[in-house]
Amino acid sequence: MAEAVLVGIERAEHFESIDQQREAASLGMWAWLLTELLLFSGLFLIALILRIQHPAAVTLATTHLKFWIGAANTAVLICSSFTMSGAIGLSRLGWQRGMVGCMLATATLGTLFLGLKGFEYYQDYAEHMMRFLGQPYALAADQATRLFIDVYFITTALHGLHLITGVSILLVLTVMAGRPNFLAQHQNRIEIYGLYWHFIDLIWIIVFPVLYVLNR
Amino acid sequence: MTPEERRQLWQHMRTPVISLGLLMALLAINVILGATLPFHGVWMLEAAVVLCMVLVVLFLSMDVSHEAPLIRVFSMLGFFWVLILFTMTLTDYLAR
Repeated sequence: MAEAVLVGIERAEHFESIDQQREAASLGMWAWLLTELLLFSGLFLIALILRIQHPAAVTLATTHLKFWIGAANTAVLICSSFTMSGAIGLSRLGWQRGMVGCMLATATLGTLFLGLKGFEYYQDYAEHMMRFLGQPYALAADQATRLFIDVYFITTALHGLHLITGVSILLVLTVMAGRPNFLAQHQNRIEIYGLYWHFIDLIWIIVFPVLYVLNR
Repeated sequence: MTPEERRQLWQHMRTPVISLGLLMALLAINVILGATLPFHGVWMLEAAVVLCMVLVVLFLSMDVSHEAPLIRVFSMLGFFWVLILFTMTLTDYLAR
C-alpha cells in the first residue's frame, strides 16, 4: 500500500556536511521562534498584570469572551499539531502520499481554526465589543475593561496573522512536497516547518488560559 | 499495508499519539476547571496544567530532547529568559 521513496537532504555547498546543514536550519528556526516567544510573552505579561491590577474589570470582560469557541479552537490546533507530526513521521518513512495528505489535513484544521475565530469576532462585533471600529462599547460603564479587551484583540489577531502565514506557507510546501524527488532532496523542510506549526499551537495553548480561563 | 509497514508506522507515530492524548486530557481538565470554578484559587491549578501542556509540546511534539546539544541549550535559554521576565515583573506588581 505505502510506496516508499528515497529520503534525504541535498547538501548546499556552504555546508561541510548534511548534519551541519540540518543543525543550522534547526538552530535558525529556533532563533526566530524565540524572538516570537518574547513578542507574545510581553502580551501575556500585560494580560496578567491587568488581572492583578483590575481583577473585577477583567472578570467582567472575560464574561464576554466566547469560552467554548476558545476551547474548541484549542482542540482543533492540538489535532492539527498531531497531523503535522504525522506528516513529519511519514516523511521520514518516505511515504510521500500519506505525508501530503497529513499536510493538507493540517492546513484544513488551521483554516477551521481561522473560521471559528472569524465567527467569534463576528459575535464580538454584534455584542459591541469592538470599540476600535467606532461602535458604542458594551462595557462603557467600566473603562478598565477596555484595556483587557484591547489586549485580547491584539493577541488573538497577532496569533491569527501567524496562522494565516502558516497555512499559506504550508499550502505552498504541500505543492512542492507532492513533486517527485522532493523527499530525496528536501525532507528537512518538513521537519523545520513542523517546528513552526507546533510553536503556533504552543502559543495558543498559553493564549487560551491567559485570556479565557484563569479566574473567569 | 504489511505487518512490517504497520510496525514502522507505529514506531514513528507512537510519540505523536501519546502527545495528542496527553494534550487533550490536560485541555479537558482546564476546560472543566474553567467552566465550573470548583474552589477559590483554582487559577494555580490551571496554570500548572498549562505548564504541563507547554512541556508536552516542547519535549514530545517539538522533540527538543533529541536535538543537538547547542539547540537544546539555546531553546532552554530562551524559555529561561521568559521566566526571568515574568518573575521580575510579577514580583514587582504582586509586592506593591
